Amino acid sequence: MSWQKITAPVLIAASCAFAYYLSFVEAGRTPSFAFVVGFVFGFVMQKSRFCFYCHIRDYIEDKNPNGVLALLLALAIGLIGYTIVVSSWLPTPAPNNLPPDIHAGPVSEVLALAGAVFGFGMVLSKSCVAAHWYHLSEGSIGSLIALCGVALGFFIGFNSWNALYSFRIADSRIIWLPAYFGYSIALVLQLAILGAIAAFVWKFSLKPPRESPKPLATFKEIYDRFFAQSWSYYVGGAIIGALGFLIIIWTKPLGVTATIASWTRFFSGAYDLIPARLHGLDGFAGCGSLPANFWLNTDALLLLGLVVGSFASSFAANDFELQKPTLKESALSFVGGVLLGFGAMIALGCTIGTLLSGIHAGALSGWVFALGMILAIWSALKIKNKFIA
Amino acid sequence: MKGLLVGANTLFRAAIAAGVLTLSAFAAAPSGPLVTTDWLADNLKDAKIRVIEVSVNPGVYERGHIPGAVNFSWHTDLNDKVKRDIVSRADFEKLLSKTGVASDTTVILYGDTNNWFAAWGAWVFDIYGVKNVKLLDGGRVKWEKENKPLDNRVPEYKATNFKVADINDALRARLTDVLSVAKDGKKAKLLDIRSPDEYAGKVFAPAGIQELSIRAGHIPGAVNVPWGKAVNEDGTFKSKAELQELYASVGVDGKLPVITYCRIGERSSHTWFALAKILGYKAKNYDGSWTEYGNSVGAPIDNPAGTIWAAK
Repeated sequence: MSWQKITAPVLIAASCAFAYYLSFVEAGRTPSFAFVVGFVFGFVMQKSRFCFYCHIRDYIEDKNPNGVLALLLALAIGLIGYTIVVSSWLPTPAPNNLPPDIHAGPVSEVLALAGAVFGFGMVLSKSCVAAHWYHLSEGSIGSLIALCGVALGFFIGFNSWNALYSFRIADSRIIWLPAYFGYSIALVLQLAILGAIAAFVWKFSLKPPRESPKPLATFKEIYDRFFAQSWSYYVGGAIIGALGFLIIIWTKPLGVTATIASWTRFFSGAYDLIPARLHGLDGFAGCGSLPANFWLNTDALLLLGLVVGSFASSFAANDFELQKPTLKESALSFVGGVLLGFGAMIALGCTIGTLLSGIHAGALSGWVFALGMILAIWSALKIKNKFIA
Repeated sequence: MKGLLVGANTLFRAAIAAGVLTLSAFAAAPSGPLVTTDWLADNLKDAKIRVIEVSVNPGVYERGHIPGAVNFSWHTDLNDKVKRDIVSRADFEKLLSKTGVASDTTVILYGDTNNWFAAWGAWVFDIYGVKNVKLLDGGRVKWEKENKPLDNRVPEYKATNFKVADINDALRARLTDVLSVAKDGKKAKLLDIRSPDEYAGKVFAPAGIQELSIRAGHIPGAVNVPWGKAVNEDGTFKSKAELQELYASVGVDGKLPVITYCRIGERSSHTWFALAKILGYKAKNYDGSWTEYGNSVGAPIDNPAGTIWAAK
């Protein structure tokens, strides 16, 4: 048995103890819950290779539909769950009366552009922000470099915010679809769009041969299937969709860039490197907005849980292997990271906060961000394949 | 036989005790301006009670509220949407009618952050002459700490036709009132409830809040008792005797009318509530507060720290 396999159960036990300890700290119950959700989120992401960029790339380049279908499943499950939870909070949805904390942002061409910048960043750094966090647990030095780039991107984003706000964001509206169509029509409409995309993806794909799983026999096989082997994309998609709406019952929607945002804001603010006033920013819910207190907050503990959870998953499967990037790869990771950070700041969140949590909530901003991002990935891959490969 | 009689007797007593308990479960609201969390928990099903949440933070109510409570947004329900002013009479009547408040309803207000806006709501209700308005002592925080039930379902009540009888403007101080007191302190006492640093002019606004006034300091003659001194650790108001002593120590003893103010007029309604409703003093809330006063051209300012336009 390798040291990695022994470390995994230790990490899991330590996480349980930490979550238990947090639940007794003053105001620690919600952060404790966020830590547990983050842990499961990280564990499931690593196990099922949940990755917006890889899945979309696999479809565009190889016509492999499985990953994209898993993403669509995560969106559909969360959308249904959100509708059930949120409709109990606000029986009659109305414009200008958003449910608490939902990640619905102002919709404008700035948002579409932010999505596109984020998409280019994904292609350059080979991942989105959330997946960079769990790639750390697989020993990716490139992801560490990319995350440093993300912090710089946030810094640039904060410095551009006021200009973009005056230019366009101030007059754009937050469009929460149930407020315009009612809960049921908004739900059916969005599920229909997801279904149509799924049908399209399925039709224009090269279906990989399906292997029927062998029946489980021994405890060791069950254990290995759970810890040592990768899970099906669909299991990952379904669990992440469910986590997306279960978390809102207790606390804020899922989002993984809020901590980088608030730390960047905290440190740059302390040295007067970003404007003291960021117009309108704190009025929007999302990942760029709220300056959190340092450690004992939902965002930081969700992220900590995510990293620890993905380490537990990666160690259990012996997936950890230090990957040293070349100079060129490092440069691409860093520049990609800067684009990711800038896009995520301007869009008030990344693939998890703005896209996943936004579409779950029925926010048009989630769809617009997704559209900008997918077009950018598609065109960046075409350019790359034409000129580089 | 004897045993049977004793048994019947015990049963009879128990029945009476149960009856008394049931009756007392819907006891008339306490006569004071406050109700305890325990009392409210026992009386939630009473149809003559309407619990209303007025929280500072949007979205708190939706996630979970005292079962049966309705939500009033201070931004849009209790404020005028066009003027900087409290809700108009017509809109207030509509709001209370929709909420099913009738003349014999006891309204119990509560909210987050120590009942700041709930107290402000109580002040608005008082201006519009609503009878039987009380605060839940300790507010949301105490209710949650005691693990009392929360619900996220939104209740619907049969609408009434609520009419405001008369408006009590005496509860409200205007800029002119405050200016005249600043010139002649014999008419009334001014009570600044902000932090000592705001009062002294060292800071323009509390930490983390953007300044709304371009000058710092306080209204000349005002004394400083931060609002938090009026409450115990669990957020409940201090006893009448303790409050009396607290305010008497800065010369507010009920002999002169008192005007409370803060930055935008909400925390000062918390102190207004203590003075007017608990101590029974003649008190007005200056809802223009420092945001209006500190920006008014010609208004004299006392600024011990000497900051001018955020510089020395």
